[in-house]
Amino acid sequence: MVKKFMALLRMKYIEMFAYQWATLAWSTGAMVQPIITMMVWINIYETEMESFILYFSTLILVERLTAAWDVWDLDRDIREGSFSNYILRPIHPIHWAIAENIIYKGLFLVVLVPAWLVSSFFLPSLQLHLNGWEWMLFISALLLGGGIRFMFSYSCGLLGFWINKVTAVYAMFEGISLFFSGRIAPFSLLPPIMQDISLYLPFRYMIGFPIEVITGSVKGADLGYGFLGAFIWVLIFMGILGFLWHAGLKKNQAVGG
Amino acid sequence: MKRYWRIFREFFRTCLVEEMEYRSEFIGNLFSSVFGIGIALLTIQIFFYQTDQLGGWSYADVLVLLGIFNTLQGFIHFALRPNMARITQHIRKGTLDYILTKPVDSMFYVSFRHLVFWRLIDVFLGIGLIVYGLMEKNYVPTSGDVLVFIISLIASLLLIYSLWMMLMTTAFWVIRIEDLSFAFDSFFETTRFPISMYRGGLRVVLTYILPAAFITSAPAAALLGKWNMITTLTSLLVAGIFLWLSRKFWKFALRFYTSASS
Repeated sequence: MVKKFMALLRMKYIEMFAYQWATLAWSTGAMVQPIITMMVWINIYETEMESFILYFSTLILVERLTAAWDVWDLDRDIREGSFSNYILRPIHPIHWAIAENIIYKGLFLVVLVPAWLVSSFFLPSLQLHLNGWEWMLFISALLLGGGIRFMFSYSCGLLGFWINKVTAVYAMFEGISLFFSGRIAPFSLLPPIMQDISLYLPFRYMIGFPIEVITGSVKGADLGYGFLGAFIWVLIFMGILGFLWHAGLKKNQAVGG
Repeated sequence: MKRYWRIFREFFRTCLVEEMEYRSEFIGNLFSSVFGIGIALLTIQIFFYQTDQLGGWSYADVLVLLGIFNTLQGFIHFALRPNMARITQHIRKGTLDYILTKPVDSMFYVSFRHLVFWRLIDVFLGIGLIVYGLMEKNYVPTSGDVLVFIISLIASLLLIYSLWMMLMTTAFWVIRIEDLSFAFDSFFETTRFPISMYRGGLRVVLTYILPAAFITSAPAAALLGKWNMITTLTSLLVAGIFLWLSRKFWKFALRFYTSASS
């Protein structure tokens, strides 16, 4: 199994080099919206500039490292029937997606971490003073967030067995998540009702929670509740994913391919 | 000019017939447009929950600006974007030959041949938002305001067209044009907010080098009665320069075109 997965990783690694420039172009584009949002907030609270720079830089990092594009791939593969090729193989197709995620996020890490380090010379607010324990918390929150976002995207993609506009459904969720994942505003600046709602939706645990851990805006018991929420959503999505996968295979009637 | 108008009407008619084939998509498209503008409005609400002005613009002012943004975005998706993928195809497959041999200007043809009508929903929603913003502000534009607004809007549309075409013309050298359209979207996204919100070097760049200031902020200011003749004339001048540049660039690029089939 491990050997098979290593082979997948190597394949995706080679594949990545074919698309590296496109990937980098898209990643640069993904930074624009957070930067504009940051400028709006700096405009509103001029004295808080430093903390907004830290918040939105972390947002760019976390957003990239938890990015999920699987719904687009699945939608296309299921619709065109080429998904059958994966179903027939002896390992679960999700392994391809996982391998791809690991490789591309490795690329983001290789680009973004040095960029962060260079920027921190000019922007003191980016110099982090975290101890080992805090780093561990951040990395755990990030991995949980990445897992939730990945499974959410993959589950939406599996809906393609039933409906043919899953990307539109996913885009709608992305729109809603802008507010509840902390991308439009740090949670503390949202109206209280929206802060409350965000605790019960999965979106906060995808992006906002890891940022809050690094900026130190969740502490003590709230930190525990945050991790609890993230764990619960991981379990929920594992259940949904498993269910959709089994139900979808029964439904699947390989069109074309 | 009259001939080009007639050709454009013919494009309009054929695309409309084509789109009527997919009538059932209309409700879905309507929903996604309304949803899009809803998200944009909610975003503004979140910002104004914490403040009462953004770069000197009040809530109602920003609504008018957002309405103009939505309208212009509707136009881009109506007339410009549908042609993007086709330009690349024409160049790669050599079918640009057929266009170059037609007795019609090639730049005109490749940029307006295909239209996607349902995107006009965004234009109407945008106009609705402009009207709502003006009502919120309790301001009735004078005839002078409207005149200046129309002039700045024309300048703004010309600017958008020129910037878009310059980017599309690079298709003669670059193959992955989808990535380039992403660059345009990123730039266009900056016009969602008043230009006075940006600071320092960035504002200078967005005013003089990539003239984002003339795209939404200038028409919105005109409609709100905050215009002056110098800005308006500058916007026309800048639009003219960019149009000329894009035209030159297209002609220059055509010289590099060698049909793929030969």
